[in-house]
Amino acid sequence: MLRPPGVTRPDRTAVLSSSPGANGSPEHWTGARVHVQVKVLCGRTLRILLNDPQLVLFSLAQPLIMLTLFSQVFASIANTASFPPGVSYVDYLMPAILVTTGIGSAMQSGVSLVSEMDNGLLKRLRAMPVAPRAVLLARSLADVIRTAVQLATLTVAATLLFGFRPVGGVLGTLASVLLTLYVNWALTWIFLALAAALRSPDAMQMAGSLAMFPLMFASSAYVPIEALPDWLRAVAVVNPLTYAVDAARALTMGTPVGAELLAACVTSLVIAVVGMHVATRAFRRP
Amino acid sequence: MTQPVIEARKISVSFGAVAALSEVDISVERGTVHGLLGHNGAGKTTLVNVLSTLVLPTSGEATVAGFDVRDQGHLVRGRIGLTGQFASVDDNLCGRDNLVLVARLLGASARQARSRADDLLAVFGLTDAAQRAVKTYSGGMRRRIDLAASLVGRPEVLFLDEPTTGLDPPGRLGLWQIIEELVTSGTTALLTTQYLTEADRLAQRISVLSRGRVAVSGTPAALKARVGGASTHLRLAVQADTDRAVALLAEAGFTPLPGVGDESVVLPATTPSDLATAIVALEREQIAIAEVTMAEPTLDDVYLAVTDSPHD
Repeated sequence: MLRPPGVTRPDRTAVLSSSPGANGSPEHWTGARVHVQVKVLCGRTLRILLNDPQLVLFSLAQPLIMLTLFSQVFASIANTASFPPGVSYVDYLMPAILVTTGIGSAMQSGVSLVSEMDNGLLKRLRAMPVAPRAVLLARSLADVIRTAVQLATLTVAATLLFGFRPVGGVLGTLASVLLTLYVNWALTWIFLALAAALRSPDAMQMAGSLAMFPLMFASSAYVPIEALPDWLRAVAVVNPLTYAVDAARALTMGTPVGAELLAACVTSLVIAVVGMHVATRAFRRP
Repeated sequence: MTQPVIEARKISVSFGAVAALSEVDISVERGTVHGLLGHNGAGKTTLVNVLSTLVLPTSGEATVAGFDVRDQGHLVRGRIGLTGQFASVDDNLCGRDNLVLVARLLGASARQARSRADDLLAVFGLTDAAQRAVKTYSGGMRRRIDLAASLVGRPEVLFLDEPTTGLDPPGRLGLWQIIEELVTSGTTALLTTQYLTEADRLAQRISVLSRGRVAVSGTPAALKARVGGASTHLRLAVQADTDRAVALLAEAGFTPLPGVGDESVVLPATTPSDLATAIVALEREQIAIAEVTMAEPTLDDVYLAVTDSPHD
């Protein structure tokens, strides 16, 4: 059925015919199943990422720089009264770095979606039997995979360079990384919804930062929430990132984990479901 | 004989207060090309967007390949190809990967997808550029890979939205030939264009859109008969001869009009033998002609003719 390559030229008429030809060409293709479309589109996004070495390099360098800066700049607060005694700051900081690196990637996902909406491919997909949610799911999953590589690099670097030795050990750290990936996949939908609604790279950058910084700083990410002023603490208590960081921290530090893990999972799920709905609706709009 | 492949009844589209389309009717038989002629902003792309399910009509009904564009959009999308003025492909992927990607999304296996991609690349003369990123392609190559991507699924209906705008003459001719081959093999096409010659060459029927309405529709021959033939532009060698030339030509039975410069004269609706008569008349009086051009009727001429007389 298959021609040996380069031996004969294909028959023009058969190739251009609108009806499936006699030479073994298949029935009409009128759309793959959604999970296949997600897989194919996700593979395409990752391939483009890998083809761009600069992007790979910067994606890996950025969290490392964050880790270096935070561990050096804020190390002194490990001596203040509100800090848990007997805990090294890097062990305390690491889960937060993981979570905030993830949220940076989540925002990047929205930025990428906006810039892709100008790319011809997305225009083509709209006129094809491709489900909008397949396009968005593929985007979010490709970014989760990218984030996973970032987090793995970060963990290895922290262990080798900054003396990251969590009580929770390898398993605790792994669990914390997985939780981080899940929470950030959920948060990605906030940014995908913003991207699909705004469709302008500039507006997306601004709105993304507006959403990202309160999430990052009004949380227990960098200092214990007891150290925050009252009003910020009030925000931090309802911030899903607080639960994510607390749970990730409990997992890495080997302390009992319970309510915060459940809270992190539930708040993330709510965000993912609502975000997915909003993003799909906004994306469908021409 | 059969149900039309594309049928639109009283399609209207409003964007806020702006009416982009008003009660447009269109009906296209299987295996034919329907030309949609109109200036920028006439509503051509909006109609293509409605029929390719990208835009919901504000009112009216349309079926494509037997499915309703409003309620059965997914089924319509499985049977159409859309190619436009701007290449709708992934610039970062190579030509072959673009086609493989489209085939996989449509439901082909990896092997089927590669085979279909290679066949299309060969037919479109892109085999040598198959492994290059599309962003390195020339304008003509981009247009070809875009059309190839639209054909991966062997669509019953092909929407060609100004497919040759910006192409050089060989590129345009090549695309015309492929469109003709496609239609011969059973594809139905809706072609939008600003060029009367393009619609004339490819389409069996033409609808002229003006401000969101169908101003006239019919066969190219009927349309051209209404517009009249080509016009002749004469540029004289000596400007002082102009008045004399106008008088002589009027005497010879023409209705000369002033041209672009002071030294030029336009003769509307002239045949080649009319042209010979005009040249002989001027030569006899020793009026030297610097340049003669015959221009095909333009879209403007069509509009002029259409708005002059009520449509059928």
